[in-house]
Amino acid sequence: MKTLDLTVSPAPHIHCGARITGVAYNFFLALLPTVAFGVYYYGFDAIRVIGASIASAMIAEAVFQYIMKKPITIADGSAAVSGLLLALILPASVPLYLVVVANFVGIIIAKQCFGGLGASPLNPVLVSWAIIRVTNTWAGFLDFDLTLINYDTGFLLQYPLAVLKAEGSAGLAHFSLLDLFLGRQGGGIGASAIIWLLAGGLYLVVRGMIRWEIPCSFLLGVIVVAGIFWLGNSKTYANPMFHILAGNVMIGAFFLSTDNSSAPVNRWGMVVFGFGCGAMTVVLRAWSVYPDGVVFACLLMSLFTPLFDKLRAKQVLPQPVYPITPATISGTVEERSGQ
Amino acid sequence: MGLRSFFGILPPRVSYRGVSAPVEPVPIPEKIRLLWYKRTPSDLAVQIGKRVETGQDLARDGKGPFVSTVTGRVEDIGEFQGVDAREYLAITIITEQRDSFDPSLEAIEDFSETKPETLRAAVNRAGFTALSPIIRDPRVWPRVDALIISAMDLDPQSVANQQSFRDNTSEIGTAVELLARTTEALKCTLAVPDNLAGIATGVSMGAAAVVMVPPVYPYGLPEILAKKYGAGLLLHPHDTGFSGNTIVVGLDHALSMVHSLQGGKPMLEKTVTFSTGENGGFRNFRVRIGTPVSELLKMASVEPAAGGKLILNGTMRGYACFSDKQPVTATTESLHVQSPSEGFSFQDTQCTNCGKCNQVCPVDLEVNLLGRFSEYGIYDKSRTLGAENCIQCGLCAYVCPARRPLVQYITGAKQAIRSGLEEPVGMAEAMECDACGPSCPAIRLFDMGSDTEDSPKEKE
Ligand code: SF4
Ligand code: SF4
Repeated sequence: MKTLDLTVSPAPHIHCGARITGVAYNFFLALLPTVAFGVYYYGFDAIRVIGASIASAMIAEAVFQYIMKKPITIADGSAAVSGLLLALILPASVPLYLVVVANFVGIIIAKQCFGGLGASPLNPVLVSWAIIRVTNTWAGFLDFDLTLINYDTGFLLQYPLAVLKAEGSAGLAHFSLLDLFLGRQGGGIGASAIIWLLAGGLYLVVRGMIRWEIPCSFLLGVIVVAGIFWLGNSKTYANPMFHILAGNVMIGAFFLSTDNSSAPVNRWGMVVFGFGCGAMTVVLRAWSVYPDGVVFACLLMSLFTPLFDKLRAKQVLPQPVYPITPATISGTVEERSGQ
Repeated sequence: MGLRSFFGILPPRVSYRGVSAPVEPVPIPEKIRLLWYKRTPSDLAVQIGKRVETGQDLARDGKGPFVSTVTGRVEDIGEFQGVDAREYLAITIITEQRDSFDPSLEAIEDFSETKPETLRAAVNRAGFTALSPIIRDPRVWPRVDALIISAMDLDPQSVANQQSFRDNTSEIGTAVELLARTTEALKCTLAVPDNLAGIATGVSMGAAAVVMVPPVYPYGLPEILAKKYGAGLLLHPHDTGFSGNTIVVGLDHALSMVHSLQGGKPMLEKTVTFSTGENGGFRNFRVRIGTPVSELLKMASVEPAAGGKLILNGTMRGYACFSDKQPVTATTESLHVQSPSEGFSFQDTQCTNCGKCNQVCPVDLEVNLLGRFSEYGIYDKSRTLGAENCIQCGLCAYVCPARRPLVQYITGAKQAIRSGLEEPVGMAEAMECDACGPSCPAIRLFDMGSDTEDSPKEKE
């Protein structure tokens, strides 16, 4: 009899079709308008930073994996997404060596040393940015007002959060909320493209690439805490809508804090995490020396991710077996239910 | 099969099929093979060459029952590796086309007049599997809080129970009566898929309450039915007693019970849904238990493509056969012929912690962590995360973008926990293990506290 050529494999035998690369592709698609925005206003410099950042992130990952004799996984796109996101929160004028160094630090130390995609306790993008920010000699490159002085974008290129820090909410009179929303503000290459980031973020939520809980509670956290500050003292502190529309909040809520491996995965954990990120952002904006607090807020909250993930119902472990007792051996239903 | 919502705002859904496929009888094949788990030839009362009758108990006294489903001559007694990779005792019978029934089976006219013990003994003797693990002695019977007769199918690739519901509405009342009496359940429920609500309204269900169940996998699985519509947990026998409180019986099985008890016959046949391709070709075959899968392929004139799969019991929980000699057993629900293009392969990638598995798990496990702990053999952690509660529905592996074989990892952990292996590998040992150093993804920050307390002291 003819034998059949059969494949044997464990269940399940079908798959919904999702792939890791799908997440990266969707991120790229979602960020496309934002990138276009950056390139439109900052021209070749934006292309330069974005290109260098993506390339160096991928090279960093490949080099590390080659040295460590691990399978090279740059094809999954996660390193490229990290590179792109870093570029979008940097000013267009940033020197390339800085981009490269930051990416190597972020990808190798924050991601690969902890086991690669899915195992990093902190988002590599945030670590890269924070390294630049906290290094005294480099921090100046992140001062948007100084570094963007040479660009002519057709609108007032002023970093609203720096104005807020320096002059209090009184200095914000010339920033209309609509201008902020449309991206007419100084800031990172893509981080100021609020409307496009919102559109891209909603696309990712709808496609199920990121969960809605984190961005929603992030924005809610910003509104609530900024509202408290504002109600307390509206001279010093800006109104909540300004906080949402200025700086890195939009990119943070949808793209930075939702990084899979450093964010919680259970619903209430995500809600608390997102809310904490938003609240911390406003607190840092109000009280720290840094104009924007999104990155540090996300980093701080990521450290608590394993704790937040415990905010869920405990599993009920199987009960012990009950032995056969005389009561269960005989008798009719009526007798037993009467017991 | 997979219904991937275009705007994936909801996790992907796996829906049951609402197709109607008339039941077609399959003739008795020349040879059948009956499987018996964990037995040796010395447990049998027959030898090679002997003639057996339909319904004859082939087991030695006290070992059985192990019922022949055909009349014929025993050709061979040997070992057979089942589709679940377990070793079975197999007995091959060359069939005569006509049945001569074993006279020791008696017909029961009126179920309501018969004592539950007698019914249980009769059901057990006839070879029905739904209750047989629980009935070891017909007089020893646990308290059953809820009985669910399910017209839901176990897998989206099966439409057998649905079809029984469509075809046999007049007998459902009798089936409910028989099972309620046999199990002495305090509460009896009939679970009907939503899409058959139209049929359900006109039917007399006897003493059963009817619940409409959404036709979405995994609602048809007994564990989920027991949790949502029963008293909570499936009844399981153990060496020392029972656990759980709910019995779930498929409608097809229940109706077979009615017919065989009324006619004094054993459990002979099974409705098996045959399907092929992504969407197509649903057919219901009524086959003798023991019929090899190759007969079904012949009946449907389908030949599996090279490198394809023959899947018994559905694409979500089922088993891929390694040969078409695998016989249909009393628990076989469906046979799916899968072409290589429909399948996918698992990958040895690490978890990206996307949380999709947590979102779909019907028993609300933290599958992202559970998968990792189980993969790395940290079984005490797997246990505290509830590995034993996993019902192997396969949804987590169905949605995992990293295509990790999650069900395998978790099943492995479950087996290890059951056999008491969780002691040697614990978190403490894993922290000392240097194999992967700091990159071990099983260990996340803050998760390094003393876990020795968590490890269970007693073994089951
Ligand atoms: S197979 Fe187990 S862990 Fe996976 S989704 Fe189903 S019940 Fe949950
Ligand atoms: S679905 Fe897969 S990759 Fe995502 S968390 Fe679960 S196991 Fe990890």
